[in-house]
Amino acid sequence: MATGRPSNRSGTAAFGFDWLTVALVLGGVLLLYYVVPMVSLFLSVPVGDVLARMSDPAVVDSATTSLLSASISTVVAALFGLPLAYWLARTDGAVTKGVLAIVVLPLVLPPTVGGIVLLTVIGPGSPLGEAAIAAGFPLTRSLAGVILAQTFVASPFVVVTAKAAFESVDRTLEYASRSLGKSRLTTARNVTLPLAGPGILAGVTLAFARAIGEFGATMMVAYYPRTMPVQIWVAFIELGLDNAYPVAILLVLIAAAALLILNTVASNPWE
Amino acid sequence: MTLELSRLCKAYAQFDFGPVDLTVDDDVLAVLGPSGSGKTTLLSLIAGITGPDSGSIRLGGRELVGFPPEDRHVGVVFQEGALFPHMTVRENIGYAATAGERVDELVTLLELNGLLDRTPPTLSGGEQQRVALARTLATDPDVLLLDEPLSSLDAPIRKRLRDELHGLFESLDIPVLYVTHDQRTATALGDRIAIVRDGALEQVGTPSTVLTRPTNRFVARFTGTENLFDGTVTDRTADETIVRFGDRRFRTTASDPSTSAVTGCIHPSRVEVEAPDGGGDRTPNTVTGTVTRWLNEGSAYRVEIEVDAESLALTANVRPPTFERLELETGSEVRVRVPRESIHLIPERE
Repeated sequence: MATGRPSNRSGTAAFGFDWLTVALVLGGVLLLYYVVPMVSLFLSVPVGDVLARMSDPAVVDSATTSLLSASISTVVAALFGLPLAYWLARTDGAVTKGVLAIVVLPLVLPPTVGGIVLLTVIGPGSPLGEAAIAAGFPLTRSLAGVILAQTFVASPFVVVTAKAAFESVDRTLEYASRSLGKSRLTTARNVTLPLAGPGILAGVTLAFARAIGEFGATMMVAYYPRTMPVQIWVAFIELGLDNAYPVAILLVLIAAAALLILNTVASNPWE
Repeated sequence: MTLELSRLCKAYAQFDFGPVDLTVDDDVLAVLGPSGSGKTTLLSLIAGITGPDSGSIRLGGRELVGFPPEDRHVGVVFQEGALFPHMTVRENIGYAATAGERVDELVTLLELNGLLDRTPPTLSGGEQQRVALARTLATDPDVLLLDEPLSSLDAPIRKRLRDELHGLFESLDIPVLYVTHDQRTATALGDRIAIVRDGALEQVGTPSTVLTRPTNRFVARFTGTENLFDGTVTDRTADETIVRFGDRRFRTTASDPSTSAVTGCIHPSRVEVEAPDGGGDRTPNTVTGTVTRWLNEGSAYRVEIEVDAESLALTANVRPPTFERLELETGSEVRVRVPRESIHLIPERE
């Protein structure tokens, strides 16, 4: 029979502390901390004002520099990074671990330190830097400098993410393809790359997002031509916070586009 | 086409494969062994997925060692099919095909017509294996290797596909190596069986030879001979050998072994269980015993019988009608007869 006392569960809730609610509140506060500043940024300047300042030559130049350099950096990172990622995915042992640690180094290094490290090799005082200047192709204070700085900082995203993507492709499929008479290259093109594609795209997207937001290393290596993050800093220092908004909004939109790609066509590595 | 392996060796950290010598003509060799015995290593070496440390692999007189998988003309059907998940069935087979007509032929042969536009993840396990087989055969390989293609399938589908494979293998005139850990599949499909243990071939022979005349205890046990007894050959005549297990003497037609210390093998299916009355122990090779345990295994009952008070314990497979007629249960007295031809002797190695 279902008669009897009220269940015990409501009894414990009466004198227990409700930890679930506390956890939800803590998480909620953190989420608000992410969302509120974003909304605030878009509310702090009238839309017309922002659009007007978008046509400012300094803003247009920085956006051009950023998009161009980040695109080239991403292509370079993919070109050099994918073979390395494949090798890392298909090899085991101490050497692999060591190489992976080197790849991850730029991710954990403070970007300004990355800039300094790069300057010791390509800076005006270094043999390589001097030779480049003599050849009329300076590696600092140039688009090349921006690309070098961005590639240093952003390319690990391609390698690390693509490595995971390659690892998710069953090796047996590659063996199957080759036993069907297809060369390594044909196998890579028809089997490995298509199957690892979404993961590789995620890595490329992350690298692009990181490259376009790169500030620290770029500041050290190539203050000119100004990228968007450098332009934000210059506008903020020289003219005040309000003047930094338009470029900042542009960067937020690019970041949102990257997130969109990650959650649709690419396979989000953090999911 | 003949596949010849000679002195083939491959060392791993935990495991040494070989040296293996093996010749396969245009017939089916079932490679049977427990997991970790080196069956898959054997296939990997032939397919070129792994390189040997030494030895040679010749296919139709052509040396394969040193050539990459794509240049070997070795067809492999992998355990789970290894179909390309991003391609349809048609694309999977077309990817491999060397000639278009061959594809149509295989599609008809393996009944894949309705599946051509499906993708592998939507296929059942049996369908995947049929597609994998079609894909491999579409390359017109010089040898066909199969790595436990039926092991992940449910029993009814496995049986059906096994029958299909049997017919298909008949129509192929290339060497076929079929790796399995299942003795029934090996005997059903193999023209010959190779028993593998610890990276070495223990015995190669026709299914009936391997099953009835194992060369050592491992082969005997692995192929289902549960009755293995230490024995001594006490007498030999022209057509008979007398062997003693414990206190009991048995007559056998087994050829005179090279040593007097032997292992006697009696397959459980060859042990005849009868009612205890009549005859008695005077008939040759007949003893009485007590049922100590029995188990219904479906097509037969597995009955353990202790022969009198001695340590001689026999296992017999009893067909259900016999089991029911004798009303067997634990403690039943039975008379056990072992035909002379059913006792096989293995010379004892020192």
